[in-house]
Amino acid sequence: MTVKPPDQLLLEQDLAAAEFRCGELEGRWRHVLTAWPNVVISVAAAPRQNGPTEYAFRFDCTGYREAAVTGQPWNAETNSPLAHKDWPTGRSIVPSIFRPGWKDGQCLYLPCDRMSIQGHDNWRNVHPERLWNPARGIICYLEQIYDLINSNDYTGPIGA
Amino acid sequence: MPKLTLFVQIQGQPNIVEVAVDERANESEIHKALLEAGLTIGSDQFVFIDESDEPLSAQGNRPAAEVKQGTRVHVARCRRIKVTVNYLDRTISQEFAPGVRVRSVKKWAMKEFELDRKDAAEHVLQLCNSTERPTSDTPLHSLVRDNDCAVCFDLVPEIRVEG
Repeated sequence: MTVKPPDQLLLEQDLAAAEFRCGELEGRWRHVLTAWPNVVISVAAAPRQNGPTEYAFRFDCTGYREAAVTGQPWNAETNSPLAHKDWPTGRSIVPSIFRPGWKDGQCLYLPCDRMSIQGHDNWRNVHPERLWNPARGIICYLEQIYDLINSNDYTGPIGA
Repeated sequence: MPKLTLFVQIQGQPNIVEVAVDERANESEIHKALLEAGLTIGSDQFVFIDESDEPLSAQGNRPAAEVKQGTRVHVARCRRIKVTVNYLDRTISQEFAPGVRVRSVKKWAMKEFELDRKDAAEHVLQLCNSTERPTSDTPLHSLVRDNDCAVCFDLVPEIRVEG
């Protein structure tokens, strides 16, 4: 029998918890697949002309939940990174976070992202509400994505 | 009878509790299901369905038509919550039901302050005297800190992530 590592067990526990299921049943997000240490989760987006109903993200959850996850826009059909033209964008806040040019599109420019927080110690003071919260786990990342692509600032995919 | 899953949020507790109820449960049957799930509902607490204005009656036989799969239920000490929003030199106040979400409060505030869609995109509600910016799905009762059934927000500019 294969023994699962603690970080994988913690993630599975959180994906089965009421807070995640509540988001699923309310249509805010849905679990697509887990291929440890990655999990793909789709997040619902506000309707926009030529915009999708949801965006998928692949999260690398190594070290979960003490370590933050890192999330990348993902094409769930081809199981590959989302083409840059298909990334969500907006007028001001959304494009400051969904930056295909940052780290070659491997992560979101969010303080709760494990890759992006590196070298950005000032974010701990400037964006305390956007930091990774180990007590809440992946929910705190998903909630931020959901609010961004359901805000008035969001205009649809870059190439729409 | 098919069952529905409800997500119960209790004022003062951070976790969410799942409770199963019959698809056509009426008010008193929902109350009973909450008690059978081990929740305590004191005589000074109210049960609300999602953002409903009126609490459920523990003895009521009215069908809870608004209940569907995944509906949130709130068990709150506050019958109403007084919300105050500060923006520049203006302050507005209104009472809301405890299950009303931050998204709805922001929509109301934007209308009262006569701010347009672009302004709405660039502003967020931040709890007064803090840096906490609750997400749009947060119910008001989870933001009440004292026993005064009140929540104070500042409407502040959203900050771009830069640096």
